Amino acid sequence: MVIELPAHVLTDTRLVSASSTRFRVNIITSRCKECGICIGICPTKVLVKGSKHNEYGFRYPTPANIEKCIGCKLCEYNCPEFAIFVEVLGK
Amino acid sequence: MPSGNSHPLDQYLRTARLPHIWCPGCGIGIALGGVIRAIDKRIKEGVLKKENVVFVTGIGCSARTSFYVNFDAAHTLHGRAIAFATGAKLAKPELEVIVIGGDGDIAGIGGNHLLHAAKRNMDLIVLMITNFVYAMTGGQVAPTTPLGLYTTTTPHGNPEPPLNVVKVVSSLNANYVARASVTHPLLVEQYMYKALGMRGFRFIEILSTCPEVFGRHIGVRDPLTLYNSLRSKVIIKQSPSIDESDLDWEKGLVIGEYLIRDNPSFLDRIKGGSK
Ligand SMILES: Cc1ncc(C[n+]2csc(CCOP(=O)(O)OP(=O)(O)O)c2C)c(N)n1
Ligand code: SF4
Ligand code: SF4
Ligand code: SF4
Repeated sequence: MVIELPAHVLTDTRLVSASSTRFRVNIITSRCKECGICIGICPTKVLVKGSKHNEYGFRYPTPANIEKCIGCKLCEYNCPEFAIFVEVLGK
Repeated sequence: MPSGNSHPLDQYLRTARLPHIWCPGCGIGIALGGVIRAIDKRIKEGVLKKENVVFVTGIGCSARTSFYVNFDAAHTLHGRAIAFATGAKLAKPELEVIVIGGDGDIAGIGGNHLLHAAKRNMDLIVLMITNFVYAMTGGQVAPTTPLGLYTTTTPHGNPEPPLNVVKVVSSLNANYVARASVTHPLLVEQYMYKALGMRGFRFIEILSTCPEVFGRHIGVRDPLTLYNSLRSKVIIKQSPSIDESDLDWEKGLVIGEYLIRDNPSFLDRIKGGSK
C-alpha cells in the first residue's frame, strides 16, 4: 500500500550542517523530536525553528545564524536525542 | 577531527535503536549524555576500559537507558537493579557497574536495596533520575514528589513531604553523594567523572524533566518551559550541607557535591586490606 503524504510534509533524513570559519553545527535530522530545547538554550540564537519535517513528522531546527555561533556546545549537551553536534574547525 | 557525519557519543550508543522511546524534550537523554561523556573521558585517560563498563537497570523510563548504551547491560526487575549489580560486581570485581533508575525504581520499590548497598559501601555507582513521578506508569505520586504538587494520584495536591534520598544515603556509609540536574549537563558529567575515579558506594541524584506526565499535571506541558522552570529552581552550591538538601519546589532545589570520603569499600574489607 502506498501512503500519500500531504504536500507540505517534506521528509528529510539528511545531516543538516552549517559552518562558520570556526565552528560547524550538525543536526542529525531523523533523531530530532522538535522539543525546542536547543533553540531556547543557544545563547546567541544560532538555531531557529525549521519548516521541514523528518520521517517521523518532527520539524528539526536549522542553524540559520551560524556566523553567531560561539562553539559553547550547549545545544549538543542539552539535546535529549543526541541529534546535534558541534565541531571546532579552526583556531 | 571527526568527519562531520557522526555524533561524538555514537560509539557508545546502539544507534540502530535511535530515536529512543523517550518523549520529546524528556530529560533522561540529557542525563545519559552527561554520564556517557564522563565515561568517555575516563576511557580516554586509560583509567577505564570500555569492555568493563556494565549498565544495570530495573524498570521505568529511566531504566530504559540500558537499551541504548553500547556497553554490556542488564535490564532486570523493577527495584532489583542494585541487587543484580551487587552480584555482578562481586563475581567480577574489575567491572565498573553502573545502576541507573527512576526514583520509584531506586528509592521506592528498590529502597531497601539502596539502604543496604550504601550501608556496605558497595562498589557501585547508582544514578537516580528524579523526575518527581512514576513516569512510565502514567505519572503517579513518587517518593520524591514535592509537597503540594499535582500528579495523577494526588488531584488535590501531594499531602506528603518528599523523601530526601541524598540525606538518607548520606546518613549511611556511602563514599560519594551528589545531586545534579539535567538543566546543568556539565555538572552531571563532572560528578559522574568524579565518581568514576572513586571506590565504594557512589550515589548521584539527577533532577530531570518529564514534560509528558509530570509537566502535564503541573500545567507545564511544553518541554522548554518545563526545562526553564526546573532550571530556575536549581541552586548550585560548591559544598552544600546535608541540611540544605530537602527537595522544596517553592524555595529551590540545591545541587552540588554533598559528601566525599574515601572509606574502605565492601571489596576492600572482603580482601582484608582496609585502610
Ligand atoms: C514489581 C513491579 N511492580 C510494579 C511495576 C509497574 N511499574 C513499571 S515502571 C514503574 C515506576 C516507574 O517510575 P520510576 O521508577 O520513578 O521511573 P520513571 O519511569 O519515572 O523514570 C512501576 C511502578 C513493575 N513493572 N514491576
Ligand atoms: S555551540 Fe553554542 S552558540 Fe553554537 S549553536 Fe550550539 S548553543 Fe548556539
Ligand atoms: S534539542 Fe534536539 S530534539 Fe530538541 S529540537 Fe533541538 S535537535 Fe531537536
Ligand atoms: S513519560 Fe516522562 S519520563 Fe517517561 S519518557 Fe516521557 S517525558 Fe520522559
